[in-house]
Amino acid sequence: MEIYHLDDLSLLQQHLLAQYQLYQVVKNDDKQCSWQQQTKERNEPLIAELPQSSAKDFFFAEHENLLIFNGEYFQETLPTPAPFVLFGILSCDLTAISYQDQFFKDDPYYQARRQQCLLVGLDCIKPCQQGFCPTVDAGPGVREHTADIILHPLENHQWLLISTNDKGTEAIKGLSLKTCHWHFLTQRDLTLHQCEQEFTDDSDITQAIDKLNNGEVSDSFWQQLAVQCLGCSGCTTLCPTCSCYGTRSITDESEDKKVITQQRFWDSCLYEGFQREASFHNPSAEAGKRVQRFWQHKFGNEFFAEFNRHGCVGCGRCEQTCPGVIGVHSVMKRINNNA
Amino acid sequence: MLSHIPDAIELVDYIDDGEQARHYQFRLVNINKPSEKNTNNNTAKHHWQDAQPGQFFMLNVPSIGEAAFTFTEPPNEQGEFRALIRQMGKLTTTLFTLPKGDILGARGPFGRGWPLEKINKKNIIIIAGGCGLAPLVNLIDSLIDNLTASQQLVLIYGAQNKQAQLLTTERERWQQHIKIYNSLDEINDQYTLVENESQGTPLDIVDIALATFIKPATTALLCGPEIMMNSAAKKLVDNGIASDDIFLAIERRMHCAIGLCGHCYLNERYVCKNGPTFSWQELQ
Ligand code: SF4
Ligand code: SF4
Ligand code: FES
Repeated sequence: MEIYHLDDLSLLQQHLLAQYQLYQVVKNDDKQCSWQQQTKERNEPLIAELPQSSAKDFFFAEHENLLIFNGEYFQETLPTPAPFVLFGILSCDLTAISYQDQFFKDDPYYQARRQQCLLVGLDCIKPCQQGFCPTVDAGPGVREHTADIILHPLENHQWLLISTNDKGTEAIKGLSLKTCHWHFLTQRDLTLHQCEQEFTDDSDITQAIDKLNNGEVSDSFWQQLAVQCLGCSGCTTLCPTCSCYGTRSITDESEDKKVITQQRFWDSCLYEGFQREASFHNPSAEAGKRVQRFWQHKFGNEFFAEFNRHGCVGCGRCEQTCPGVIGVHSVMKRINNNA
Repeated sequence: MLSHIPDAIELVDYIDDGEQARHYQFRLVNINKPSEKNTNNNTAKHHWQDAQPGQFFMLNVPSIGEAAFTFTEPPNEQGEFRALIRQMGKLTTTLFTLPKGDILGARGPFGRGWPLEKINKKNIIIIAGGCGLAPLVNLIDSLIDNLTASQQLVLIYGAQNKQAQLLTTERERWQQHIKIYNSLDEINDQYTLVENESQGTPLDIVDIALATFIKPATTALLCGPEIMMNSAAKKLVDNGIASDDIFLAIERRMHCAIGLCGHCYLNERYVCKNGPTFSWQELQ
C-alpha cells in the first residue's frame, strides 16, 4: 500500500484519461446520477453520490452475445473492451463487484470485461439516504481489497490517494505525487468512523437477519408480503449483486447465409415463470417462495458461508425502487414486526 | 474458464418410444479431446468420455436454445451417445421436426450423477415415474451386468397409462434379471392387467416391492415427479432405509448448467452443479 497527497484531482483524471476510457458518476438535469464517459475536454467534478444503476453492467452486461453458430460449429464471441476506469466508485458498489468477481470467477465473458478495468474507489464521508453499508461490512470507507486506488477527500479540495496494489501503482506511474505522512491514514479512519456513527439505527436489519436465519419467518408471512410484489424486476435489475440471467437464440437470415447468435440477458428470480419447466411444473409458482429465496440469497447463512459475506451490500437501491413493499428496509421492518 | 460453447453434434437417428417420446442417437462431429488441440475451430471443448450415469448434457437446438437431458447411453469412443427425449416444449417440438443429418450442439457432461460407491453391491429399490426412468437406464444396465449372487435389485415403474409407458424394450430385457413392478395411473375398462402390473401410483406398490427382498433393501434411487419422490422417500424412511441412502434425481429448468444463471436453484443449491442427484438427507 502506498499513500500520497493529491492537490489537484484533475491531474489524476487527465493522467488516467491518457491510458483509459474514463467513466464517472454525473448528476443529470433530472437530478438522477448515472455513469458517464468523460473526455479530456469535458471532465465533470467528482461527486460522492450513488448512481441509480450500479456498475454491474460494465462486467455482467445486460445483454451479452455468447456465441454464434454458422451451421457447422459454435464459436465463442468474447467481448474486447478497451481498458477503462471506473473513477470514484463508492464502497458498496465496489463490494458488490468483489462479490461478483467471486461468483463469475470462471466466466470468460465477465472476466474479459473485468480484466480491462481499473477501479478507483471513493470514500463516503456522509451517509447516503437509504444505505446501510456499515451493517453489512461494505462501507462507507472503501475496503482495501475491493479497489486498485482509493481516494479520500481532505480539507480544501485536497485528496488522499491510496494505491492498494500493483495495478493501482502502475496506473499512477509518471504522475508527480507527494508521498504523505501516515497520520493522514489515522485521520481517514477517524473521518470514516465519524461517518459510520451518523448512519441511522440498523437494529431492524440485524434483528431481521437473525430471525431469517433462525427459521422464524413463516411461509404465510412471505406469501402475504409477496402479493404486493408486481414482479417488475426493478429490484433485481438495480441490485448490484443480482446475477440471474436467461438465454435466447437470435436467427439472422439477412444475407444468403444463416447465422444464429446465442445471447444471455438479465433475468429476475422474482418472475413467475423463472423456474417454470417445459412440462409446466413450476417449483416456485408461489410468489412468497420467490421473495423468500431472494432475501435468503441476500442474508442467508448458507450463502454467507460460501462468499464470506452477505449477498447484500447495503446500497438501498431496492428500497428506492420499491418503497414500502419489497425493498430491504420495508421487508426487514415487517419481518421484525409481524413474522 | 467455464465453457458456454457447445460442441457440434450430428443427429444420427431416432426411434419412437411410447407417446411423443423418442430415442435420439447423436454423434460428436469432432471427438478430439480438448487436450489434443489442433488448429481446427471444431476441436471438442468438453470431456465427453468422463460421463457418469445420472449426469446430463445441454442439447443446443440452434434456432431455439438449450435444454438439459440425461444420457441413456453415454458417449462411446466414436463419440456416439443416446438420449430419451419427450416432446414437451418449444425446443423438443422443434427437435422432433429435424431430419437426420442435421447439425446441433451439445455441452457436457454436467452435474453429480448417481453415487456409485454408495450403490454398488447394495440391495436396491428403484422407483421411477414416467420419463424419470431415462436417467436410470444406463445405471440399471451396469448394475445388472455386475449383479452379485446375494444382491437384489427391484424396480417400480409408474406411468400415466399404457400409452405413456416408455423404455418397453429395456424393461423386457431387465425383467429377465430383476423384479419389475409396473403401475398405471389410469386404465380403461377393457384393459386386463398383466403380470406385475397394477393400477395406481408407484407409492401403492412400495410395500409389496420391499417385501420381495430376501435381505432388506438398504438403498433407494428415485426419479420422477418431485411430489412422488418426496412421498416415496418418506415412506422408505419409515421402512428403515437411512435418509442418506435414498437418492433423488431432481429436475429443474436450466439455462447454463454451470452454476451461473440461477434458474435451477433449490434453496441454496444449484441443481446443475450440486445435483441433479441428491440424498434425501441433503434435501431436509
Ligand atoms: S451505502 Fe455506504 S458506500 Fe454506498 S453510497 Fe451509501 S454511504 Fe456510500
Ligand atoms: S438487496 Fe437491496 S440494499 Fe442489498 S445490495 Fe441489493 S439493492 Fe442494495
Ligand atoms: S442451470 Fe444455470 S445455475 Fe443451474
